[in-house]
Amino acid sequence: MRLPRPIWPWPFAVKHMTNRERFIKALRREPLTGLVPTFELVFYLTMEAIGKVHPSQRIFSQWDQMSAKEKEVQFADMADTYILTAEKYSHSAIFVHPNPSDFDSTIRILESIREKTDDEYFLMMHGDPTFSIPDGHRMMEFTTRMYEKPDELKKSAENRLAISIEFAEKMSAYPGLLDGFALCSDYCFNVNPFFSPAMFEEFIAPYLARVIDAYRSMGYYTIKHTDGNIMPIAGQMVDCKPDAIHSLDPQGGVSLTEMRRLYSDKVALIGNVNCGLLQTGSEEECRADVLRSLKEGMAGYGYVFSTSNCAYTGLALERYEMMIDLWRQFGVYT
Amino acid sequence: MSILEEISGALQQGRAPKVKELVAQAIGEGLQPKAILEDGLIAGMTVIGEKFKINEVFVPEVLIAARAMNAGIAELKPHLSQDDMKAKGKIVIGTVKGDLHDIGKNLVKLMMEGRGLTVVDLGVDISAEEFVEAAVENEADIICCSALLTTTMGEMQNVVELRNSKGLDGKVKIMIGGAPITQVYCDHIGADGYTADAASAADMALAFCG
Repeated sequence: MRLPRPIWPWPFAVKHMTNRERFIKALRREPLTGLVPTFELVFYLTMEAIGKVHPSQRIFSQWDQMSAKEKEVQFADMADTYILTAEKYSHSAIFVHPNPSDFDSTIRILESIREKTDDEYFLMMHGDPTFSIPDGHRMMEFTTRMYEKPDELKKSAENRLAISIEFAEKMSAYPGLLDGFALCSDYCFNVNPFFSPAMFEEFIAPYLARVIDAYRSMGYYTIKHTDGNIMPIAGQMVDCKPDAIHSLDPQGGVSLTEMRRLYSDKVALIGNVNCGLLQTGSEEECRADVLRSLKEGMAGYGYVFSTSNCAYTGLALERYEMMIDLWRQFGVYT
Repeated sequence: MSILEEISGALQQGRAPKVKELVAQAIGEGLQPKAILEDGLIAGMTVIGEKFKINEVFVPEVLIAARAMNAGIAELKPHLSQDDMKAKGKIVIGTVKGDLHDIGKNLVKLMMEGRGLTVVDLGVDISAEEFVEAAVENEADIICCSALLTTTMGEMQNVVELRNSKGLDGKVKIMIGGAPITQVYCDHIGADGYTADAASAADMALAFCG
């Protein structure tokens, strides 16, 4: 006989955990049952997957000319794009890329997602003030400043830090909207980090630690992302105390097992499915890589399943869907 | 320590003014300009490249050493004969069509120049036709193609096929590199060489030109 479903707060009922709650449990490295959480920093394939242009690829050349009603429709449609993607692939978190990116529009898109889904999803945004690898044209100029004008560079780092903290403080006046920040400044190439460990200690780590601390004091979680071989600076990154480290790039030789051995008592781990292989490998190779990631990642708690970068433009959707199908079958804590 | 060793050491430390000063001193002492170039400046960059390969030095240290090398070469150039300045080989380099990333390409260029090779930088978003035309125009020994994206690396195969169709496969080598590139992919498309890092790319280019 089928029993009626208990209604919360009936004392013996098991409360359904939201995706947000499950994601937070993973960030806190707490025990979980059921599917290990998953999400993507960006899922660009929205047109193919759900028939909608990704919000960050929309160009609103006449935004200021739009009526308030028209803007609302646009916000609602962008919110739907994020939500439908999360629903389709059972993502636990949504990385919101506000477009337009002014503060009021940022608040509105977050509100719109919350209005439609309440607290179902963990919402995050960009928020990394630290220096990343400079582009090819600026590399020499940036390097020269590190050697010849370190104080000037540190002043610039302070300014960037202040801007990020100021934004978070403004955001914290709207409680319940944003859950965390993704810190996406890239530090590493495949072979090694751009910054030597000593340079990282001087020019990056102090500011990374302070921004993470400031975000945490306001109640925000932090996920530190970088591509490439992080191993020479991984300890320093962990010491800055982000809640999670993202990408764990196998193209950069990062081993999920090794990261788990070294740091899983201090930080959650996200990523490691080889996103390059998803595009270029055979189906068998991709399948093996996904299963390897799940096995290594789920050797304990504090793990979120994802690609080692994002579902990028040009990636074959069927490969991403194969990855998610495997996760649904094998990404279950027993 | 000889003055050439001093030049090499100062270059490795990225001390551009000191390198310039030492090169001027070496010229004043009557050392052969070619020896200053080869056994002082290029020797220093070679050490940097070796250390880079084993993570003993990082990109900014390579860049600052390259800047010191350029300072030394500027001082030395008026004293070098045409023969002294003859490059060890000529390379055309670029990032493939559809790809605007230039960090890796610029590093490879810098490493190659540091080893005495002449590098013609075509920039980013370069089609197969542009690569091959530039190689012919510049009488290059090697075409170097860079790609950061799995979605653009396919253009490398077009470069190989176009080179072959022009009958240049015996004359112009093709080297490829970038985050998603592997030796397997290199073999698959019939390119002549792949390396995982910029210093090794310079080694390979020298071997091809030797």
